[in-house]
Amino acid sequence: MYEGIRSPAVHMPKTMNDLVSASTRFPNATFWAGGTFIMSRHDYYPTRESNDIISLGEVPELKRINRTDRYLEIGSMVTFEQMLTVGKQVLPGLLQTTLEGTATKIIRKQMTIGGAICTPQSRLSLPGTLSALQAEIEVKTCLGQKTETRWIDINRLYDRHGTLQLKKNDLVTRIRLGFERENFSSFICAGNPMINLEETVMLSFACFYNQAVINRFRMCLTFPTTMFLIPHEIDMMMHGTMLPLSTQQIDRVVRSIMEGVFSSNEHEIPAIQLERARRFVESAMHELNAQSLSER
Amino acid sequence: MKIECTIDNKHVLLTVNSNKPLNLILMDELETSHMETRCRDGNCGNCVVLLQDEAVLSCLIPAFRLKGAKIVTFEGYQKSRFWHDLERAYEDTGSHPCPHCYASKTLIFESLLQTVVKSESGPSHDEEPDETTIVREVGLNKCPCLDAHEILDIFRAAAAYRRRRRVRRY
Repeated sequence: MYEGIRSPAVHMPKTMNDLVSASTRFPNATFWAGGTFIMSRHDYYPTRESNDIISLGEVPELKRINRTDRYLEIGSMVTFEQMLTVGKQVLPGLLQTTLEGTATKIIRKQMTIGGAICTPQSRLSLPGTLSALQAEIEVKTCLGQKTETRWIDINRLYDRHGTLQLKKNDLVTRIRLGFERENFSSFICAGNPMINLEETVMLSFACFYNQAVINRFRMCLTFPTTMFLIPHEIDMMMHGTMLPLSTQQIDRVVRSIMEGVFSSNEHEIPAIQLERARRFVESAMHELNAQSLSER
Repeated sequence: MKIECTIDNKHVLLTVNSNKPLNLILMDELETSHMETRCRDGNCGNCVVLLQDEAVLSCLIPAFRLKGAKIVTFEGYQKSRFWHDLERAYEDTGSHPCPHCYASKTLIFESLLQTVVKSESGPSHDEEPDETTIVREVGLNKCPCLDAHEILDIFRAAAAYRRRRRVRRY
């Protein structure tokens, strides 16, 4: 059954320098984080096309969680379960809800934050949440023996369809989150982004307000294979709006987002995804209203 | 690729493809009788083993991660004294998983029971699981043979036996 199948060479760098060197020497190798996404593909094994593997699991720099005065910096090889141990005071509520809502503990111990961000074909729940929280990503580009490091907004990692924009020699090493906490957050996911790609919809929403006036209104709607929508115009539209929102305001937000969904995707989106997206946005608005009323 | 590891307390030297999943290694190379999964996408939850004493889906573990690892399958687990806690819990409650998912669900229960012991034995990141977590974790195995009440009854009965042992470590 497995005749003629090549056993890929596995490189296990132990330092960042080794990692850079390995990625330069083996440009076609696959970076291996937790492996949950790669190994859950139906055609993963056996296959005749196996690239070499660069396992990132033994580089200590990628496994660190660092807290500075202004930021929480998380290494890309930190697992979901390790992140949950950071504590509720440090971890934003939206991120905590997203992590807890992803898979089970047994799988979360293996899933890494970098792996969840860099899945090649489809978008999982984490990128949307990090986008709503305005996370920054440290990308190292390997240029021979040198590396170029830059911090970029997570939104720049994907295009509107959610396609990963990293080059082959780019490596995500850290994720940075600010300590400003959202006043209201909501994460809603229907379906399983690993299995039901055509049905799953995820909404991550963070709202910052002060004395019932909205300062920031960050929303990200993710359809695993077709869309990664961040409606920036809604953020501007809602800036300075008083809470609670009226029915007309909610309708306007929902209509505007759904127009964004239609206009930014030329593919036909299944009706179930459209309906779920509309309901999720409505639901999140009503929850926001309920919270603002309860705080009066 | 040559890999040395310990499977069910036996030291083994495997020559396998570096990216071969652990469940296929156990079925093809070692002919483990309780492993009956070929779903290949981590969806059925029927291939749970203990890797370094923690439950994992073996279909998501590649061979190269097994260097020096300690793997316990259900067959090995049945030889440990901890198995009797769950065996007695199944008897006491009159509920048990069906033969198809018996091995996997039992090992998931075991991983949950370990957190009970750890949380009682001192500062630990593992908190004792709440009811939702227990049902959700066991639900990793998609077989619907146990309902939520049965899962919780089994867990409580087994946890009571485990506490009586006052075990500090595996």
